[in-house]
Amino acid sequence: MPEIKPRIGVFVCHCGKNIAGTVDVAKLAEAASRFPGVVYATHYEYMCSDPGQALLKRAIREQRLTGVVVAACSPSMHEETFRRAAEEAGLNPYLLEVANIREQVSWVHSGPAATRKALQVTRAVVEKVQGNRPLRPAEIGVVRRALVVGGGIAGIQAALDIANAGFEVILVERSPSIGGHMAQLSETFPTLDCSQCILTPKMVEVARHPRIRILAYSEVEEVSGFVGNYRVRIRKKPTYVDPGKCNLCGECAKVCPVRVPNEFDRGLSLRAAIYIPFPQAVPSTYTLDEKNCLGLVPLRCGQCAEVCEAKAIDFDMHEEILEEEVGAIVLATGYELYPKEAMAEYGYGTVPDVIDGLEFERLLSASGPTRGEIRRPSDGKIPKEVVFIQCSGSRDPEHHKPYCSKICCMYTAKHALLYRHAVPDGQAYVFYIDIRAGGKDYEEFVNRAMEEERILYIRGKVAKVFREGEKVVVWGVDTLTGRRVEVRADLVVLAQAIVPSPGTEELARKLRVACGGEGFLKEAHPKLRPLEALTAGVFLAGAAQGPKDIPESVAQASGAAAKVVALLSQPKLEHAPEVAEVEEALCSGCGICAPQCPYGAITVDEVAHVNEILCEGCGTCVAACPSGALTFRNVEDEQILRMVRAALEVADVGV
Amino acid sequence: MRAKLAVYWTGSCGGCDVSFLELGPGLLDVLSQVEIVFWPALVDAKRQDLERLPPRSIDITLVNGVLRTEENAEMVALLREKSRFLGAYGACAHLGGVPALANQGNGILEAVFGPGFRPAPPFPEAPEDTPPDLLPEALPLDEVVPVDFVVPGCPPPAGLIARFFEAALSGGLQPGQVFAEEKALCEECPRVREERRISRVLRPHEVLPDPEKCLLDQGMVCLGPVTRGGCEASCPKAGMPCTGCLGPTPKAGDPALALLSALASLVRAGEEGEAAFPEENRILDGLVDPIGTLYKYAFAKYGRPLRRLARRREEVRA
Repeated sequence: MPEIKPRIGVFVCHCGKNIAGTVDVAKLAEAASRFPGVVYATHYEYMCSDPGQALLKRAIREQRLTGVVVAACSPSMHEETFRRAAEEAGLNPYLLEVANIREQVSWVHSGPAATRKALQVTRAVVEKVQGNRPLRPAEIGVVRRALVVGGGIAGIQAALDIANAGFEVILVERSPSIGGHMAQLSETFPTLDCSQCILTPKMVEVARHPRIRILAYSEVEEVSGFVGNYRVRIRKKPTYVDPGKCNLCGECAKVCPVRVPNEFDRGLSLRAAIYIPFPQAVPSTYTLDEKNCLGLVPLRCGQCAEVCEAKAIDFDMHEEILEEEVGAIVLATGYELYPKEAMAEYGYGTVPDVIDGLEFERLLSASGPTRGEIRRPSDGKIPKEVVFIQCSGSRDPEHHKPYCSKICCMYTAKHALLYRHAVPDGQAYVFYIDIRAGGKDYEEFVNRAMEEERILYIRGKVAKVFREGEKVVVWGVDTLTGRRVEVRADLVVLAQAIVPSPGTEELARKLRVACGGEGFLKEAHPKLRPLEALTAGVFLAGAAQGPKDIPESVAQASGAAAKVVALLSQPKLEHAPEVAEVEEALCSGCGICAPQCPYGAITVDEVAHVNEILCEGCGTCVAACPSGALTFRNVEDEQILRMVRAALEVADVGV
Repeated sequence: MRAKLAVYWTGSCGGCDVSFLELGPGLLDVLSQVEIVFWPALVDAKRQDLERLPPRSIDITLVNGVLRTEENAEMVALLREKSRFLGAYGACAHLGGVPALANQGNGILEAVFGPGFRPAPPFPEAPEDTPPDLLPEALPLDEVVPVDFVVPGCPPPAGLIARFFEAALSGGLQPGQVFAEEKALCEECPRVREERRISRVLRPHEVLPDPEKCLLDQGMVCLGPVTRGGCEASCPKAGMPCTGCLGPTPKAGDPALALLSALASLVRAGEEGEAAFPEENRILDGLVDPIGTLYKYAFAKYGRPLRRLARRREEVRA
């Protein structure tokens, strides 16, 4: 290849006063014009503006530039802008580099030192760009199908939106039915719609949608591949009932001799080993719970099959492993309540009449174990004094969870209000730290509970809850009056903290998605990329990402679905080419690199291979590679050394 | 016509001279094709004999040993003048070798001989004959004279010596050639790597290694991944970790830094993250004598920035 003399252009941005107020931009441009390899240098008020870009493009053409350095803000802001401009002017975009003289210079330094550092940074990047090679982004196809994990309201909404946009969806749900926690709720704040009444139409829509395949009673076993091309292994547990034949007559459950606590009713009722979680379950079928059945191999009982007229029960059903290809994944695995067994001060969950919020939902629900009558678990009496304790396990960094669970203020107000409707002569107390009702019509709803329903709101934490005879005694403090409060209650409802549903971290690991400190799935950026994980092609919806109420979960699910649709609609995906690369002639296959990769992009046989699409260009493997066989495109050792030397040269001159 | 061969030793243990015997019967073929013009270990010859030779009259010269004295430097300069091809033979001439670990500091004599050590007072009269002065530092060959090729190793393994003579005697010597592989030793190592993580760092005497598994995986500091192949992994095969005598792979740069960076990447104590750092640091502290272990042969060649740093630190302290 003939040696082409470098013709580098340097463009110094003022960024208004952001840079020019601290760095002497004219002097920088003047000095840059004398850097080795530089044939053109100028400065301009806003390089990112249209005239700024036009200036850049004109210079590239007129000066026949072979490389460009824009000394401006962080490359994470405008690198894309400038590279596009360079491309339009006929220069390979990867021959343009940004020297960050704002975040790393003008914003953090002052005086002449700032100009000197700007010079060093710019000089170093001028050296770097001379070592850059022109690159082309990698292209990959897209599998036009999405996977949604979790069949709660967020998963349902995401699946429907994606399917309605014309793409196939696989909806995986761990339990026998979709619906999630929303199916368990009585009524929803602040409008008091019946939860099931607004949820079940959506469930039915999912069930009969031609492009949605529900895999209930199934779990994601393994995920490999990358954006646009994920391969998912799904384990479908046997239900031992053919959903096509089951006519929901329920005879099987009647004859089943087993009775175990019913999960759907949070253990407040019993169910048989063959059961349907709730009448509107989707898929609409009974499920034989293998763990609680008297025995399948050898068959110990078999009464259910004997009474099944539809001949739907098949004891020989086996677990299935399904392999599916999808282009995008939505994680909507939802939440669970922080166990009340963890609450030492509230009786470790041993007091039967101390229940959590979801148990109270079941007591309130018309389809619940008490048919909507509020009867306490211990003796079935109607409680006349009920204490609701907010922030139970939340906002308690010393003992429990440090964060606010966000929805408890609202659902506690709803609980107290619904209780007062059901038991007009009952008294409800709410212990709270403060009320967080920041939603549309939320504050009004809480006010209604406080004022119209005469619910006694006591500002203070509850110190202790214990059983005394038939009563549950609540000791607390009213911090507004400074007095100690004792309530001899019939029932205590704990607004337990919201935690990620069990298995969230394990699933996250399979997908190489990060979890925050409290185990909630972590978004790529808390403000600007809240709907997606850092792993490309994985999106987040609902309470798995953090405590959320229904409208927020639905909104996020629709947002994530929109992102999925945008991804699946692209004819081809592009991936930045600035990634790690193996020089195979030098690689001994020692394999030290592979476990360093947080994206699983490296496989090793005789030599290491980097999957260009999976590689996010972090460079960890390059640092670990002992033999120097791994390099980072356009950030090679030689370039870094040139940059260091150049930067120190400027320092020696002492500008 | 036989090729004229010279073999010379500078600061050397003598092992390189002996290593030619490793060729076995093949040595006879080699000897039949060369004329030894200068080889102090085999044939009596003096400096004057060498001085009398016309320039570039020796076809191939092999120098083994580190350059430690003024006399060493003079001799290799003389050999350079008289030779068409001059090569570094063995790790000392190539990289400085074990003797160059002396470059670690001036306090080495005190460290060895204890606090009572004093240099002897100068003789009252100038003696008739004195040993040559030491160079300020032990140096690899190419820092004093241009070197045409390298036969690396401590000593060079038979296979590589044979490969060298094959090329040299058929006129196929390439400038800059290193008679070893470009790929790291792991390429030819039969040991099996499993879990690439280190939860302990052990010295060879502390463990009886599993005969099948990668030594690095077992916590031994094996320089195989940074070191050129070519020895058929003879040390790892015998249960000893590679100490890097064939020198770093072409793009590894400073082998100690490269391996340190790999070790730091591999060390893992429990879940990844900051909580594990103290324990991981403790594991890495198990690397006793990092300079002697990681720079065993290459300290003269690559340890200079480190030495400069140490000097700077001493100056600051003073």
